[in-house]
Amino acid sequence: MRLHPLTTLAAAGSTAVITTAAAYLPLSLAVITAAVGLSARGGTSRRLLPAAAAILVPLALSLLVLHGLFFPEGDTVLAQWGPARVTAEGLSFALNRAAQLCAAVLALLVFSFSVSVPDLVAALSAKGVHGRFAFVLASTLSLLPAITFRLERIRQAQEARGLVIRRGLLHRAAAFRLQAVPLVSALVEDAATRAAALEARGFGGTGPRTSYRDVPERPWEPPFRMLLLLAAAAAVAVRLLLAGD
Amino acid sequence: MSSHSLTLPSASPAAARKRRLLEILGALAIAGTYIYLVLNQPTDITGGPGSASALIALSGFLAGAVLLIVAVLPTLPTSTVVLIPVALVLNIVLGQFVGSTLVPFYLDAIGTVLVAVLAGPAAGAATGALSSIVWSFFNPTVLPFAAGAALIGCLAGLAARYGLFRRFYLAPVAGFATGIIGGVVSAPVAAFVFGGTSGVATGAIVSAFRSMGDSLLAAITKQALISDPMDKALVFTAVAVLVYALPRRATVQFPFVRRHRVLAGRNPEQGA
Repeated sequence: MRLHPLTTLAAAGSTAVITTAAAYLPLSLAVITAAVGLSARGGTSRRLLPAAAAILVPLALSLLVLHGLFFPEGDTVLAQWGPARVTAEGLSFALNRAAQLCAAVLALLVFSFSVSVPDLVAALSAKGVHGRFAFVLASTLSLLPAITFRLERIRQAQEARGLVIRRGLLHRAAAFRLQAVPLVSALVEDAATRAAALEARGFGGTGPRTSYRDVPERPWEPPFRMLLLLAAAAAVAVRLLLAGD
Repeated sequence: MSSHSLTLPSASPAAARKRRLLEILGALAIAGTYIYLVLNQPTDITGGPGSASALIALSGFLAGAVLLIVAVLPTLPTSTVVLIPVALVLNIVLGQFVGSTLVPFYLDAIGTVLVAVLAGPAAGAATGALSSIVWSFFNPTVLPFAAGAALIGCLAGLAARYGLFRRFYLAPVAGFATGIIGGVVSAPVAAFVFGGTSGVATGAIVSAFRSMGDSLLAAITKQALISDPMDKALVFTAVAVLVYALPRRATVQFPFVRRHRVLAGRNPEQGA
């Protein structure tokens, strides 16, 4: 049996918070290793690793350039070219921060790549989260591939009519307009139709709802979630107390 | 079309008061976090990564954004709620396209500003915050910017409310002003949570200011003041182009557009 989606969410969230609060390089590296291992075991690493790399590589490069070359607060100068000074403090700041962000991002991505969205939505509604939030979440995740496909179709249609994207800002803006206007008008039109249909089915009403999807959870999961949240809160509290001294 | 149902009970005044309270609390959480961060930053910034500021920025801004969503989302009419997922997808699709190129812009708010112009400041704020939360499913680094995105949605709605989208040349001006405020509020998040920026082009601009000896927050705020106003001016212009290209039938279905005469042109008869 799979874990309850809220348990995995609590685990990912508290891992991200605790790693940020601890700010301890070995812990960050351990979390990174564990996250990669978990996704490999779950069979999601093929999709997860490229997505994570697309976010983390520019971020890490940006941090390395920023703090590696320019860290006015650093004292131990390792190399210097003109205004750029490579300092040991800057490099260690960049490394620590990059590891910590990688750990938090990977922990959260492992959750979002492994969770079943219908289960998550059903679990959220069962816990009293407003049905509209669940609707927005589920609707966005299912619209995303549909709209990406639609944009692709519009681009093909415009290219068939002679659209060539040339260099230069004006050409790009014109190309953007030719693709965005049909896309947005169609989407707003669709949304209006959908709103009427949903309204007719009592979407706007308040009151109890019946869910036909039952998400089972083991008896130990609710106390375990509570424990995870308490651990995250404790980590934050300890960090704030240490900072206050 | 999206009028209130005749058979379902309407919301009580007590519930409306509770929502107003949540809205105010959310705004206070965001403002308080920002003020605390700006006042306390000099002692903390080189205190090592994972400093207390990162946690305060994360929790304060996120709590504010969540309170705003809880307060606003149940009050929106169905026609607006249905538009929010579309706006989120537009933010993600257009934002991811630009984020990967070497331009110091983001253009990740087109959907948010579109909803704000069609449905008002409250809907804009909720869309901005929701956009960050849902987008973090694919890219957790946008999560801490939820409060900034909510602010941009709210300001765009106010600009529409006071007729800045009626004249085509005023839309970029409103975007520029929104960008200044949004950039200043988002800078502490970039500085304390990320210790820099997430893009290579924006990172290069921050490096330039750091090389002149600025503190990290000052450098990132200056970078935000270069990138964000231009970015939001572009976004507001793009949204103005899109909104005027929509058929009039599509825009006047939104009560906000009708009531405040958001768009130029003949005001359609009420209820026609």
